[in-house]
Amino acid sequence: MKKDGRCLMVDGKWRNQFLLNLFAILIILSSFSFAQFKLPKYEVVTLDNGLAVYLMEKKDVPIISFSAVFDAGAIKDGAQNGLASFAAEALKFGTKNYNKTQIDSIFNFYGSSLNTYARLDYSGLYTQFMKDDLEKLLPVIKDVITNPTFPEDEIVKRKQRWIAELDQAKESPRQVIGVYYNKFLFADSPYGNPVDGIKKTIEQIDGKTITSFYLENLRAENSAIAVVGDFDSNKMKSELTKLFSDWQVTVPRLIYDSRFIKQDLKESSVYLINKDNATETTFMIGGFGVPMSNQDQIQIDVINTILGGRFTSWLNDELRVNAGYTYGARSRFASYKTAGSFYISTFTSTKNTEPAIDLAIKTYNRLFEKGIDEVTLKSAKNYVKGQFPPGYETSGSLAGFLTQKYIYGLEDSYINDFENAVDGMTVEGANEIIKKYFPKDNLQFVLIGKADDIREIAKKYGKVIEKNISEDGF
Amino acid sequence: MKYILISLISVVSLFGQVKADDVKSFTLKNGMKLFVLEDSSIPNANMYFFYKVGSRNEYIGITGISHFFEHMMFNGAKKYGPKEFDRVMEANGGSNNAYTSENITVYTDWFPSSSIEVMFDLEADRIAHLNFDPKMIESERGVILSERSTGLENNPLEQLWQETQATAFIAHSYQWPVIGWESDIKNWTKEDLENYFHTYYAPNNCVVVISGDVKLDEVKKLAEKYFEQIPAGQKPRPVHTIEPEQSGEKRLFIKREVPSPYIMMTYHVPQSGSEDYYALDLLNSILSEGESSRLYNSLVYNQQLALEVGSYYPEAFDPTLFYFYGVANDGVTAAQLEKAILDEVDKIIKDGINESELQKVKNQKLMSFYRTTETINGMSNTIGTYELFFGDYKKMFSAPDDYKKVTAEDIKNVAAKYFTKQNRTVGILNTEEIQ
Repeated sequence: MKKDGRCLMVDGKWRNQFLLNLFAILIILSSFSFAQFKLPKYEVVTLDNGLAVYLMEKKDVPIISFSAVFDAGAIKDGAQNGLASFAAEALKFGTKNYNKTQIDSIFNFYGSSLNTYARLDYSGLYTQFMKDDLEKLLPVIKDVITNPTFPEDEIVKRKQRWIAELDQAKESPRQVIGVYYNKFLFADSPYGNPVDGIKKTIEQIDGKTITSFYLENLRAENSAIAVVGDFDSNKMKSELTKLFSDWQVTVPRLIYDSRFIKQDLKESSVYLINKDNATETTFMIGGFGVPMSNQDQIQIDVINTILGGRFTSWLNDELRVNAGYTYGARSRFASYKTAGSFYISTFTSTKNTEPAIDLAIKTYNRLFEKGIDEVTLKSAKNYVKGQFPPGYETSGSLAGFLTQKYIYGLEDSYINDFENAVDGMTVEGANEIIKKYFPKDNLQFVLIGKADDIREIAKKYGKVIEKNISEDGF
Repeated sequence: MKYILISLISVVSLFGQVKADDVKSFTLKNGMKLFVLEDSSIPNANMYFFYKVGSRNEYIGITGISHFFEHMMFNGAKKYGPKEFDRVMEANGGSNNAYTSENITVYTDWFPSSSIEVMFDLEADRIAHLNFDPKMIESERGVILSERSTGLENNPLEQLWQETQATAFIAHSYQWPVIGWESDIKNWTKEDLENYFHTYYAPNNCVVVISGDVKLDEVKKLAEKYFEQIPAGQKPRPVHTIEPEQSGEKRLFIKREVPSPYIMMTYHVPQSGSEDYYALDLLNSILSEGESSRLYNSLVYNQQLALEVGSYYPEAFDPTLFYFYGVANDGVTAAQLEKAILDEVDKIIKDGINESELQKVKNQKLMSFYRTTETINGMSNTIGTYELFFGDYKKMFSAPDDYKKVTAEDIKNVAAKYFTKQNRTVGILNTEEIQ
């Protein structure tokens, strides 16, 4: 058994920092100018049916990454929580020309696998394969996207396991706390939807509901494909045009209003989730964040790096390194199309619940009370610049960026001007960003733990709403 | 529970862009061996330090100390005191992590290549002059206890894993978990740590791999400047304990409230690089890689008996275990799940595998190799892993021939040879024990 050592790796980033003035002089103060990393050249074409196609050649390894995204995320679930996610997986249940076993076998035989998924804002398909196998796999991908049949027997089988998995997931507080948090913060707005649904709504899914969702939402005109890897762009373009041009849907497109209307939080409240056999309290603290379209995203990330985005961040330094309360503490802005959240997250033994929460809040408040100084800001700027290029090293991560670009309207300048945007930050600007975007009052808390032992502690932080983890839903 | 199976390497010499000759190596006077792979695809580089020490080098009373030591390597040396290693590294655009296994401890630094000299300075300081601040030891003890309990809290399989391993081995030090037993974590001392440092953290017990936007000559100069002066240590005493042959099936039960039962089965098998290694490794892929694999296709998809099922064959210096594990579907008993896994094993022993399955797993290994070569991290980790577990990093390039030699018959034979009742340990975790 391998033990990952030092810190939790979440979303590929380390969390945490704090800088004593005493040590400040030891930090190298210069702001580095690292070799600028630029987005490699790519081409974008829109087919007559509206499908956007991004092509980027990358020939260092003889493989190809294929990423498709559909404007069909869980915010479109309506009352049918989990529908987008189930529909994404059901794409692989069978098509006009292949049954499920054939789809799995073909991809596996060529050393590959086909993955589908849903997020709140979109759903997608991703695969990676050797360039020599392109001709064998592309027609299957096309069929999965454009000709799924949603066979009832496969749906029934998967539903049964899906429901059992929802129970199983609650064995791991870490795995489900984010779902409780979104539900608590966004309540009944679409961003409160649990992406994988709840037992009651999954039970109601059938071939008909999936087919309607598919026809209304997975359509050429609101989808994009990004292909990155070892191929010739012209050939790939004509191949994809040939395959996907006949993707036409005649069912009227549904226009959703899934915008999130932010209402101010009037008071602090605590969502206490009881898990009888818990020996730890897993918790999140936060409030609203910013949508993806926010122009200050990069600056916000730099500040969050200082608070809870790397190993030496304030939160990790206080809660892990100084106090030994936890294996890791972090903070994060999660941004969506029209909404966003901010949270601090960590866990500690039941007996340390109160001092750990107090210390997390105290550490967070340093942002408002003391703000950021020059040395800390420089260190964080160097850190985010230095760690940036590996995020775009592989064909898969580049395909991911291109499809994100489509969904969120990101500009290439996000990558190409990243360094300039970071370098341009000043201490004054940083402290403005804190005031503007980091939620200060009426913080919201989610605690998963043994309620009998922490109920009184929870009351200290706000109005307590209690729920048992074994109850269906979040 | 995420394992990176780095052994999935094949046919590189025929297809891969990276060749064995692209990897350069040199050894310093103190015995430290370094590998360098130049790759300028991004303006970054990494350094991987593979120390030949893991929980197999421990004994009862200090279990988990290899992993604890790994944490302490970040807590201060001579030039850079407590907290400064991370602060200086991050202020220079770098980040780091480390992992400990039964066999090795690996430290990793990722950084913009312009900061390479700072990395050498930081690493040389801690390799030569690690310091143990009593205050840091105590807070780190809390961190490890939290790491241990959060693993058990969030994953019933981890608890089952620990106790099955502890039951399957009676003599060899693979019997305790890498994280250690709780009472040992609470009681090890500063002296234990100092002894460990002097015994295992010598430059001649370490292999360094550097990949990325660097030049061999520059790396050589920096290595000579920063690492060569660190004195060599005595060769650590080898682990000589040999696990006696298991003489009958062992069974264990763990009571824990769960929605459905968990199962783990192990068989004793030989170590990495042994004669049967390649056949066992391919067998592992046939059993559990992808949705068309034997176990997933039969137990999860066709029979709906499991929510999750898998197998695992770890890299190891000494004879190790081949693992099967599964989480039962709602309403399925542990006995049903156990029987279904054993039925799949028996099918392979009786009927073997077909040629297309064999070709499939060879393709999967090739694809996995390409994924590895896509990143400078994948390359560094794989070079080091092969050098340590297979005795020569070049084995990752000759692996195609070793895999090619494996026949369907070989796979059937290793299944029959090792997957016997006598050689088996079965662990079940459930709310209630059902007789």
